[in-house]
Amino acid sequence: MESSHTAPSAGAAHQEHASVHTYLRVAVVLAILTAIEIGALYVPGLPPHILVTLIIIFGTMKFALVVAFFMHLRYDSKLLTALFVGPLMIATLIILAIMALFGSYLLLPRT
Amino acid sequence: MAAEHAAVAHDPNIGCTGLDHRKMGMWAFLGSECMFFGSLIGTYLAYKGKSISGPGPHQILNIPLTSVSAFVLLMSSLLMVLALAAVQRGDMKWAKIWLFLTATLGAAFVGFQCFEFTHFVHLGLTLQTNLFGSSFFVLTGFHGAHVTGGVIWLLSMWWLAMRGRLGPQDSLKVEICGLYWHFVDIVWIVIFALIYLIP
Repeated sequence: MESSHTAPSAGAAHQEHASVHTYLRVAVVLAILTAIEIGALYVPGLPPHILVTLIIIFGTMKFALVVAFFMHLRYDSKLLTALFVGPLMIATLIILAIMALFGSYLLLPRT
Repeated sequence: MAAEHAAVAHDPNIGCTGLDHRKMGMWAFLGSECMFFGSLIGTYLAYKGKSISGPGPHQILNIPLTSVSAFVLLMSSLLMVLALAAVQRGDMKWAKIWLFLTATLGAAFVGFQCFEFTHFVHLGLTLQTNLFGSSFFVLTGFHGAHVTGGVIWLLSMWWLAMRGRLGPQDSLKVEICGLYWHFVDIVWIVIFALIYLIP
């Protein structure tokens, strides 16, 4: 079995990750955010634009927590962050561009 | 410092950036996957509310059921990092358990999706029914295929661990598998919010 990722050679490539306690705390926060997201759907009289804003904010927070802690980008090289965040920005622009081209908006009323 | 450079120079997997090629390759792949799913999500949102015939999302989507499956996938991400932590500290007993449970939760998610798809077909929504059906099945179907691939990868890791061919020296392999698994989780976080939760 190949074992190239041994401790001595990994010094430059392998940074310290979060502890198990941090993983558990992040999981609890993710579960709470998910519960709030779903619970917001059942709040009577909540205006749609507030609901959409809340769902987008909580979804973004969950996304960031998983990427930062579970995928270890918080502890890894900035180059890896650039490799992921760059295309992620392009993907976001693709979504916004397609929606603008087709006249679809999440927050604004359709004309 | 010189000794560190010498050690890095002798490892064929470490490039001039000081990073492992395999890990960099996985991150570059995940970047390309962002754009792939971005196109599918953009298409779904562009077609949202523009179907000329039913059924539509508000008539058919089962939020409580999908909330459970979303939670299952989210918790599988926790088990994945616990598996990685166990491999890194050489605790292969718990590594096997966490890897198997992660694959099991992934398989459960795929099961939820199969049930949902079957239910929708029975309610008259197929790939050809309307714009909603086409964009919904293509987006969630591709995501389900990615999860299925991840489950197969996880089971492969578990099988290697069971045969004693996975140890702390192979933690990078588990980490790369985990990166893929967390990616399918974050894609579902976006899909769940934009498709299921936003009215």
